[in-house]
Amino acid sequence: MLKAMLRGLLAHKLRLLLSALAIVLGTMFMSAAFVAGDTVAQGFTSLFSTVNSNLDVQVTGVSATGQDNPDVITALVPQSVADQVAKVDGVQESTAQVISDGARVIDKNGKVVPGTAPRFGAGWTGTSSLLQMREGNPPSGPDQIAISANLAQDTGYTVGDKVDVITLQPRKTFQLVGIFGYAGGRDSLAGETTVAFTMPVAQELMLGKPGNYTSVDVKAAAGVSQEELKQRVQTAVGPQYKVQTADEAAKSQASGVDAFVNVLKTGLTVFAVIGLITGAFLIFNTFSMLVAQRTRELALYRSFGASRGQVTRSVLTESVLLGLASAIVGLIIGIGVGWLLKKGLEALSHTNLPVSGVVVKPYVVVLTLLVGILFTVVAALVPSLRASRVPPIAAMREASTPDKPLRTLTVLGLVTLLVGVAFLVLKLTKVWKDPLWLVLGGGCLLVFAGVVMLAPALSRPVTRGLGALFGGSVPARLGTRNTGRNPRRTAVTAAALMIGVTLATAAGVFASSVKAGVTDLFKNDMKAQLIVQTSDFTGTTGFDPALQAKMRAIPGVTNAVAVRTDQVKLGGKSTGIGSADALAAAEIFTLTAKDGTIRPLQAGEIILDENAAKSLNASVGTELPLITTRGGEKAEKVVAIIENSQTWSGPMLNTTDAAGFTSPYAQQGYVQVGPDGDVGAVKDQLNQLFADNPEVNVVDQEQLIKQSTSFLDVILAILYVLLGLTIVVAVLGVINTLLLSVYERTREIGMIRAIGMNRASTAWMITVESILISFFGALLGVVVGTALGVAIVKIFGGDFLKLTIPWAYLIITLVLAVIAGVVAAILPAIRAGRLNVLQAIAYE
Amino acid sequence: MTGEAAARAAEVWKIYGHGEAQVHALRGVSADFQRGQFTAIMGPSGSGKSTLMHCLAGLDDVSAGEVFIGDTRVTGLGDAGLTKLRREKVGFIFQQFNLLPTLTAQENILLPLAISGRKPDQQWYDLVIKTVGLGDRLGHRPTELSGGQQQRVACARALVARPEVIFADEPTGNLDSRSGTEVLGFLRGSVHEFGQTIVMVTHDPRAASYADRVVFLADGAIVDEILQPTETSVLDRMKNLDNEARAAAPGNAAAQNTAGQNAAAGGNAVEETPDA
Ligand SMILES: Nc1ncnc2c1ncn2[C@@H]1O[C@H](COP(=O)(O)OP(=O)(O)OP(=O)(O)O)[C@@H](O)[C@H]1O
Ligand SMILES: [Mg+2]
Repeated sequence: MLKAMLRGLLAHKLRLLLSALAIVLGTMFMSAAFVAGDTVAQGFTSLFSTVNSNLDVQVTGVSATGQDNPDVITALVPQSVADQVAKVDGVQESTAQVISDGARVIDKNGKVVPGTAPRFGAGWTGTSSLLQMREGNPPSGPDQIAISANLAQDTGYTVGDKVDVITLQPRKTFQLVGIFGYAGGRDSLAGETTVAFTMPVAQELMLGKPGNYTSVDVKAAAGVSQEELKQRVQTAVGPQYKVQTADEAAKSQASGVDAFVNVLKTGLTVFAVIGLITGAFLIFNTFSMLVAQRTRELALYRSFGASRGQVTRSVLTESVLLGLASAIVGLIIGIGVGWLLKKGLEALSHTNLPVSGVVVKPYVVVLTLLVGILFTVVAALVPSLRASRVPPIAAMREASTPDKPLRTLTVLGLVTLLVGVAFLVLKLTKVWKDPLWLVLGGGCLLVFAGVVMLAPALSRPVTRGLGALFGGSVPARLGTRNTGRNPRRTAVTAAALMIGVTLATAAGVFASSVKAGVTDLFKNDMKAQLIVQTSDFTGTTGFDPALQAKMRAIPGVTNAVAVRTDQVKLGGKSTGIGSADALAAAEIFTLTAKDGTIRPLQAGEIILDENAAKSLNASVGTELPLITTRGGEKAEKVVAIIENSQTWSGPMLNTTDAAGFTSPYAQQGYVQVGPDGDVGAVKDQLNQLFADNPEVNVVDQEQLIKQSTSFLDVILAILYVLLGLTIVVAVLGVINTLLLSVYERTREIGMIRAIGMNRASTAWMITVESILISFFGALLGVVVGTALGVAIVKIFGGDFLKLTIPWAYLIITLVLAVIAGVVAAILPAIRAGRLNVLQAIAYE
Repeated sequence: MTGEAAARAAEVWKIYGHGEAQVHALRGVSADFQRGQFTAIMGPSGSGKSTLMHCLAGLDDVSAGEVFIGDTRVTGLGDAGLTKLRREKVGFIFQQFNLLPTLTAQENILLPLAISGRKPDQQWYDLVIKTVGLGDRLGHRPTELSGGQQQRVACARALVARPEVIFADEPTGNLDSRSGTEVLGFLRGSVHEFGQTIVMVTHDPRAASYADRVVFLADGAIVDEILQPTETSVLDRMKNLDNEARAAAPGNAAAQNTAGQNAAAGGNAVEETPDA
């Protein structure tokens, strides 16, 4: 019997193909995410073990400020400790290293070489099996440097050139004496650039602390294990230094990559699942249709004595096979896409991962196939149960599918919707706050599910109303009526589209509200028209804070402030901190004292905002211990507590003690121009002031707002691309439904053709139906998405959110839905137009 | 005489398939269907009645020969030409009624006019509605109508556009005899009172007796015709045809092609002359 039924299944090839495509797309995304993630992770792990191949144990400092970023100096190893390590029994060789981020090479065009990868400055310790000289010699004098081959390639500098480098100290000129590369012909290990100075120069320029190192790399003598050596070294140097084996070091170096890989995996998987849910709607529809069409066939089996269970099982078996086949295809394509992703990442980061091909772990195969099958089977469950309820008598009579009344479903939908709304209202009125995922997530989900259940009841009146827009022509009228003919099918098809549109709309409302909120904040609370900022956000670049006086002296400028930021330990807690001229900052950032007064800060004085005061349990007069990178520990007395503000958050340190910050530079400057000052002229003056500093630029408020919100555009762009996937799946669903409609109505279409409808009108009739379904889905999505977006904005509240509905974007979505409808109609409309009139009429 | 004919077939051949599986459904059929005449086409199953009608109506193309509707040459028209022809000159009544379930009876009736963008002639429309006797049912959907009522809607739909000729393939095939009689009476009325031309394919001698003329087909060729038929004259003629066919059957290779259909009809139809 199964065999006979499978043959029945294969008779509907095209429809199956469309459903399969939905699963293929979903599983493809998922497996691609896992494959790319695993490959990148493995690549970096083996990369870092190469980096650490020359050592067995590594000694580093422990950050006093709680900062755990090894790229920034926070904790150093002094010469004395390095010497101690060298003397430990079992150490064959120990090399003290200086490697720190922040060596910026000035390119031939006078600008700092751009890039997001670390720009290491290192002390030369000789070549090794890992590091090899490519050209020239190692640096041997204080004005000599060697650079990594990728840097030479990017800039075009050759041995003998004069090269300017900015470090902790301003721009200095060096003689390029050598170019080095790494084992295996690599120009760089992982995309980073490296400038090698002689060791004393590196200590001076990169650390600002002669006689200190960032790490000591140790090689074990024969017969001493890494673990054993680690113990011995740890005992020798004491607990204030971190001692790691090579493996541990590699792992902690790779931790950043792991985090990235996890984001990649989770992100893509979430979208894959959304795609699969959309696909499930499509499969549900397909199987419902297949079952409906095969009512007679199924009844025949039943009249031959097949049991209900057998019928259900056979339909489910079909779905398992469909899911399995699609998931296999999805997996194979996904592996290919994973490979492309890896290549893309390599190209983006200028690296070559030491992995040939891709890593496909067994769990990926199992998971992808399981998920593919699971979604298909769950979606086919209801139709297969319906199939088993076909009575044997149906074999004898004309296949009739009486429209089941929608009342139960509608009532259920209404209840679900109301419960969802209740959740959101309770959250909004703060009656019920926690857990967030349940109140907000559950509320949103219930609202969505409720609307999906209401969709069949809504479909007829809504599509009728929309159909009127197409005018009263016969094809438009017929197309409109056809849309209302099978409300469940229309609703399920539209609901698939609704998923993606709802998410995109809610995200759009949220994003535009953030944008509007941020813009308002800047406009209202930030009084600077011009902002001086560094070209990157590593914290190591910037300008001399003493330039604040010069900025203020520019004619037309009423106020200016230079702001320095860093990470410190305050009152025992690791925190971000700023330092600025308190009066100027209060004026420009509109800060008001809640307690105490804002006045010029002396050494040993600090201002806190309410949040910081609360978390540190401090009030005016409290003395807090402050540990900075370079300044050691000092006591700071709280002189004022300011109201929480969106323009300044966290503690504000006096400028004297900021000398202990990692970077000697100010990262931002804010310049307020008086009412009769000329902003353009001031900007020119500022540009002149910073003319010799290639790392800062001057922007106006508009530009700053744009910059501050540009990350939203990036996030939204990625979101939309990925949601495009679900929309593609949904369009497949529309095609599927229309093909079925054309198939079911072959005779009808033949008849209207026979009484004089031409091909174009027939095609238009199908297109109208298609547009109505798509538009209906998009409309539901836009309405629900906007409602949820508004709810979320209201619930989160806060100054940085100002409820704004992106009308243009919503309209574009609806227009796109119309286009999607037209596209989806192409194939079915051609089919309908091509129907042979005679065969259509004779068709049984 | 050509001027008088609403539809005309000239030496029409229709051949399905290739080689072994070739079927000669029509073998050089020539026939005129006069304006204002009600013609029935009869013959054993598989004799080519439907094929002839489809060819006449331009639903199917002919293998050889020519077909005219009024003074339009149907043979060789493209899709656009055929669409125009269907809009203006041809009406259909199907065995399965073929009404659109989404439209009311009235909307179904007006559909051909709506499709071609013409305004219904109110007087004519009222007359047609009165004649089919659907007055109080016009707002109903097809599913709410009986088979006979549905077929009357279909008849009204064919009539309301005043086509040159209406083709009906077994219009009473799905109806009980009372509903069938109503529909036939209505068809005859439209011919005699309004001068409509109707060509109807039927198996039923009683249905054929409503026509002005009966054309008999056997194995793809016209073998006889009766004017002013009665139920008995038609029955007699059919019996004769069956007998002739049975007599000619043995040894005739061409008969093998249609053996299936012929057996099903309990008779045998064989051409008089072998293939030219
Ligand atoms: N599409 C086709 N392909 C091949 N052969 C066909 C096709 N349509 C009809 N025929 C053949 O042509 C012959 C005439 O068929 P037609 O349908 O015209 O018969 P009919 O007289 O209408 O029969 P019935 O009374 O059963 O409706 C038959 O032998 C049939 O098998
Ligand atoms: Mg027939």
